[in-house]
Amino acid sequence: MSVLSAEIDLPHLAAPPVLALEGVRKTVTVGFRRRRVEILKGVSLTVREGEVVGLLGPNGAGKTTTLKLVLGLMKPSAGSLSLALPRQALGYLPENPYFYDYLTGHEFLELCGRLFGMPREERQEKIAGLLRQVDLEQAARTQLRKYSKGMLQRIGIAQALVNDPAFVLLDEPMTGLDPVGRVEVKRIIESLRDAGKTILFNSHILADVAELCTHIAIMRGGVVVYEGSVEEALVGGAGDLEAFFMEVMRR
Amino acid sequence: MNQTLAIAINTFKETVRDRILAVIVLFALAMIIASLWLASLSLGQGMRMMRDFGLVAVSLFGLIVAVFVAGNLVHKEVEKRTVFVLFSKPVGRSEFIWGKFLGLAATMFVVVAGMGLFLLVIIWLVAHVLLGSLIVATLLTFVQLAVVMAVTLFFSTFTSAILASVLGVCVFAAGQLSTNVLALSRVGHSALLKGLSWVVFLLVPNLTAIDVKGALAGEGGAHWSTIGGWTAYLLAYIVLCLVGAALVFRRKEF
Repeated sequence: MSVLSAEIDLPHLAAPPVLALEGVRKTVTVGFRRRRVEILKGVSLTVREGEVVGLLGPNGAGKTTTLKLVLGLMKPSAGSLSLALPRQALGYLPENPYFYDYLTGHEFLELCGRLFGMPREERQEKIAGLLRQVDLEQAARTQLRKYSKGMLQRIGIAQALVNDPAFVLLDEPMTGLDPVGRVEVKRIIESLRDAGKTILFNSHILADVAELCTHIAIMRGGVVVYEGSVEEALVGGAGDLEAFFMEVMRR
Repeated sequence: MNQTLAIAINTFKETVRDRILAVIVLFALAMIIASLWLASLSLGQGMRMMRDFGLVAVSLFGLIVAVFVAGNLVHKEVEKRTVFVLFSKPVGRSEFIWGKFLGLAATMFVVVAGMGLFLLVIIWLVAHVLLGSLIVATLLTFVQLAVVMAVTLFFSTFTSAILASVLGVCVFAAGQLSTNVLALSRVGHSALLKGLSWVVFLLVPNLTAIDVKGALAGEGGAHWSTIGGWTAYLLAYIVLCLVGAALVFRRKEF
């Protein structure tokens, strides 16, 4: 929630949009015969400042493609995409992150800090803080190939936060983690939410979404079929987000 | 510039720590040591044999590093999705390509210089001759290999890693014959053959304009200005390859 809306208790809609997609389509060519496949068929989605939006949907619904378009890894075939922030203000964690095997955690964060042009002193200070935040101080000098999946996920989150981003995009941040790893990652996302960051994350784990998000968007077949607050969704599903999700999928 | 340097440092650290590189260098050093045995078999030409065989080892193992590491450099980033992390930050596609090349070139320099120095020491220990001109020959070998790296990197932006490596080897081989192709155009009568020979000569880097071994002192080695001109030509070729690679990579979606 923005500082202004929090102070005078305005409805959340008053917060300015950080991201707005309007009728975004994406077509790619696949295979030897270059067959055209439309992945996104007119995605419309708005993410406002301070919101934590969970992007839900079955595999192949277009969630990751949507994130890639926001990051500029792909270009939309049609429609409009407006991002109110420069790239310097974005943080991104890819799905199943796999970083450079022979770099240590500290060196990897050094690289990320350098890419943002951070001065040496500021970089060192920031890296020390991040390593503390994701509880990897002990493993800072260990090469990434020796990290567990949970540790990789945490160093992945640390690299996404190295520039102190205003808008954080997380692609399946909890997938494949053991219960301890999940709790640790959830704790980090909670701290980001409490710090007022805008977050958009893909997930299949509805319990986490219900716990962490303020809003959800449900995608099916390349379009957003539902967009609203978590409270509304819980009301719609009689207190059960999973029931609501299944209902939307059946519609 | 900051981003290019950051990517170059990262690439250098990644490639120089790779165990495969250590294995290749060990093989190269073993081959250089084997040149001692060859030298003992040759009558009166021991030092020459040792030097030439050593330089071939430097060139051959350098080529293996150049084509296989350069061929994989971009693909590995895409496959492991580390490229997503880089491009979600303020990093341009050109900066990525230049950074990757410069990092690998630094690794190649360490590898080639290390092997050259080892050869120099071996010759000094055995023949008690400090062959300073071997340093020039090693540096020229490095420039040749840098061209092969740039060409392989260019191919890897639009083909598979294996095909890019194979094409890199082909360009290296064709580069050794470049001058012969031009000579062919002079003796033939067919206009088509002449035209074709010129096209091949212009497209393929001329890697033998100077005989690297001939650059060694006491053998009528090339003049400094010739070496400088040839190096400038190869550097221009590298720049063209990298500009081409960046243009292709700019159109890529992930």
